[in-house]
Formats: sequence, structure tokens, C-alpha cells
Amino acid sequence: MNANILEARHLNLDYPIKEGTFRWSQFRALHDVSFEVRPGETLGILGRNGCGKSTLLRILAGIVNPSAGSVICHPDIRRSLLTLGLGFRFDLSGRDNAVLSLMYQGSTKKDALASLPEICEFAELGDFFEQPVRTYSTGMRARLGFAAAMKTDVELLLIDEILSVGDEHFQQRARAVMLDKIHGHQAVVFVSHNGVQINAICDRAIWLENGRIGSSGKPQRVVDDYRAFLRTL
Amino acid sequence: MITPGQFFSLVDTQARMALKAEASKLYLSYLWWVLEPMLFVLVFYLVFEVLLSFGRENFLLFLMCGKIPFLWFSKSITMASTSIVQNRGLMNQVDLPKTLFPYASVQEALYKQWVVFLFLFIVVVSYGFPPSWHWLSLIPLILVQYVIILSCSLIAALLVSRIADVRILITMGLMFVLFTSGIFFDVQSITNEVHRDLLLTWNPMAFIFDCYRKVLMYGQPIDMMHLGKLAFVFCALLFAAHLVYIRLSRQIAKWVTQQ
Repeated sequence: MNANILEARHLNLDYPIKEGTFRWSQFRALHDVSFEVRPGETLGILGRNGCGKSTLLRILAGIVNPSAGSVICHPDIRRSLLTLGLGFRFDLSGRDNAVLSLMYQGSTKKDALASLPEICEFAELGDFFEQPVRTYSTGMRARLGFAAAMKTDVELLLIDEILSVGDEHFQQRARAVMLDKIHGHQAVVFVSHNGVQINAICDRAIWLENGRIGSSGKPQRVVDDYRAFLRTL
Repeated sequence: MITPGQFFSLVDTQARMALKAEASKLYLSYLWWVLEPMLFVLVFYLVFEVLLSFGRENFLLFLMCGKIPFLWFSKSITMASTSIVQNRGLMNQVDLPKTLFPYASVQEALYKQWVVFLFLFIVVVSYGFPPSWHWLSLIPLILVQYVIILSCSLIAALLVSRIADVRILITMGLMFVLFTSGIFFDVQSITNEVHRDLLLTWNPMAFIFDCYRKVLMYGQPIDMMHLGKLAFVFCALLFAAHLVYIRLSRQIAKWVTQQ
């Protein structure tokens, strides 16, 4: 039995880019990325916008396959990617979206319906819960997304920068719930462009620049490398 | 992981929610389920009966028996064909079976179709064609049409998720089916026997629409043998489509993010 909960081996990801009629070129979003996630740890992935963080999370979540390399993860390990509100249907109410969200994550309809009061309460939506999501403010959408996402119970949580959700009051509550999850039995891969967050939350960190691993190891050291790089720009 | 039970529960829930959301946006809400096919039929009636004076007996009913099943077919496929692409955001968050999206679209159209069929049956009876034992053959007929719709929808959605241009071809293809399946003319009236047999054998939709008229208007039995063959071919196609979807699941997620 492998001690690691997940292993990424030499991951590459290429995207074709359309340059004109019948002309395509390849864009390499990830170059030879390898690392492992150990049981119960919180691994931070740090990097600028567009460095390949979210792409990497999608590969780790098993949503897309890498162009080369492999992700090794036991089939019994349930993984879930938490991002906010992308899958919402804007013409459905918050309630309906919450039900669908939970069902997509594997809940039965009955369980999903039973969790609704809790979600509504946590998202602080009040009467808006019954209104179509298109009438929501960005903050309200994010709160609903966060509340629904936090209901998942899996062995490996992949989290895509969601700590900066909503107003300050909500952020505090969200952070408390997140830390609760992070300090629980789950392994967490946490993506952010914010060095302070990575340093505060993670046991280990990886800095990703231009699809390559810039450095990895103790969060403080990785964050220092990242900041030193940012100063050279 | 989504179990088969959860899959169908999701298909059902998604379809119902989509219908509710659509109805809530329209003034006439659920009334449109019947109004829309009626308006389509009226347009055809105006052109063929009033302007071109085809002069056929019960022409409006004749049109409805062909056009209503056709609309079920064409609307399902049109909706399903873009269903995967439209859910790209969701697909980037969760590893879902991609068949979920075309299935939900087809289901949405099916729920509407029950009402429309009921309406059609009422019109048939009010025209003075009472229900007969032959109406029982509507059950296998509708089932086979459903399987045809499902398999075509899965294929259409997959192709559109790979190459967006296919959407344009699907519109053309549906128009081709509209003109070649005897919706505003009677396939049986094609004088060239070879052409007629070719059309009824190789265009499943022409055969299906002709069957609806045989049952509802003429009280005739339908060719169960041919219907059985269609059922077999399209069940096999549906099964094959599922295998392809399972194999390409992550590939599809990658394709749609690039579109």
C-alpha cells in the first residue's frame, strides 16, 4: 500500500490554440510537474494568475487527463474540487442550485433536501434563497457556492482560492469552517496567489511559475522564493 | 461517484428544474407547451392549405400527426446538442458522467411532450376518429422514437463538444429530415414504388411519422417487424454511444474548455 494519498508524476498539459483558419499551435500549460500529497496534510500551491494552478487542480481532481504523465490515486479515495459558483444555473433559484450542487457531489436527493436549511442559514441569503441566482450579487453567489461546497465530505479536498469570499463578517465564518476542514482528517490541496494565506494554513507548499515548479518544501521558504521572484518582475 | 440511481434522479431533477425556470420567465408560462406546437402547425396550414390549396381532407390533423412527433425529435436534438458545451463550467468542477447533460435535455423535452401528445389525442378524437385497439401500438412506437431521440442526441452532443461547427450541420440535418419524412405530404402517395420503399426503409423518421398517421387517422396496423428492427439498431447505437462517452469522459471535459 502506498503511503501517499495522491501522486502526480511528470504531468504535462498542452492546449491547442487557434491562430487562424487551419492554423493551430500548442500551448504548454504544465511542464513536468511531480509531487505527492500525504494523508492528512495541507499542501499549498502558490503562484501568480495564469501560472497553471487551476489547471493543475482540475487534473488532480480527475476532471481532465494530463497530456503526458499520470496521477496515481486509489479508487477508494474520494476527491472533490471546490471552486465557487461556476456550475450555477442563473435562472434557477438558490434552493434549486443548492440541491443540484449537492447531488453533483454525490448526495441523494433526499439528503440534499435535508441539508437545505443549514445551507440557507450559512449562506445568509434569507428570502433570496427562493429567488433566481441571476438576481444575486457576486458576494451572494459566492456565499451560496461556499455553503454548498462545504457540505462535501471526502478524503482529498482540492480548494481553489475561495477564502476571499463575501464581506468581512462572512469571511471570518468561512475561514473558521475551512480551517475546521483543513485541520480534520482530510488531506487538502489549497491553491492561492496569496503567500500569507499559504504560510498560515499549509504544512508544505509548492510554487508554480509558468507551468513549472519553482520551488517546494516548507511554506515559509517557498513563500520567500515566490516573493523574491515577484520583486524581480 | 454517481450511481445509476443517482444518475436518473439527477436527470429527472435537472429536467424538472429547467422546466420550472423556463415557465417562470414567460407570461403564458406552461401554456406555451401546447401553444408552440400549435403555432407551428398553423404556419404550415396557412402555407399549404390556404395559400397553395393542397385541398386534402383533414389536412390540419394530417399535419399535426406528423409535425408534433417531428417537433419532439428536433427540439430534443437541438437542445441536447449544445447541452455538454453549455455545462462546461460545471464540468470543470466535478467529474460527472457526461451523458447526464444530453439525457437531461431529452428528459426535459419528454415531460413537455406528454402534454402535447395528450392534446393531439384529444384533437384526433374531436375530429371523429375514436380510439381503437390500434392505439395500443402507440406505446412501442413512442418508446422506439424515444430511443432514436436519445441515441441521436448523445451523438449530436458529443460531436458538438468536439467541433463547434457541427451545430450548423445539425440544423441543416433536421431541416433535411423535416422535408424528407413526409410531414406535409403523405409518404404513401409517392408514386415511384422504389423511392417510397427506400424512404420508408432507410429514413426511420419517415416510417415513424407514417405509423402515427396509420394508428391515429386510418385505424391501420403498423409494421411491427420494421419497428422491432429499428428498436434493435438504435438500442445498439445507444449502447455504443454510452461506451464512447465513458471512454472519452475526461477528453470531453478538455475539449469544452478549449471551445
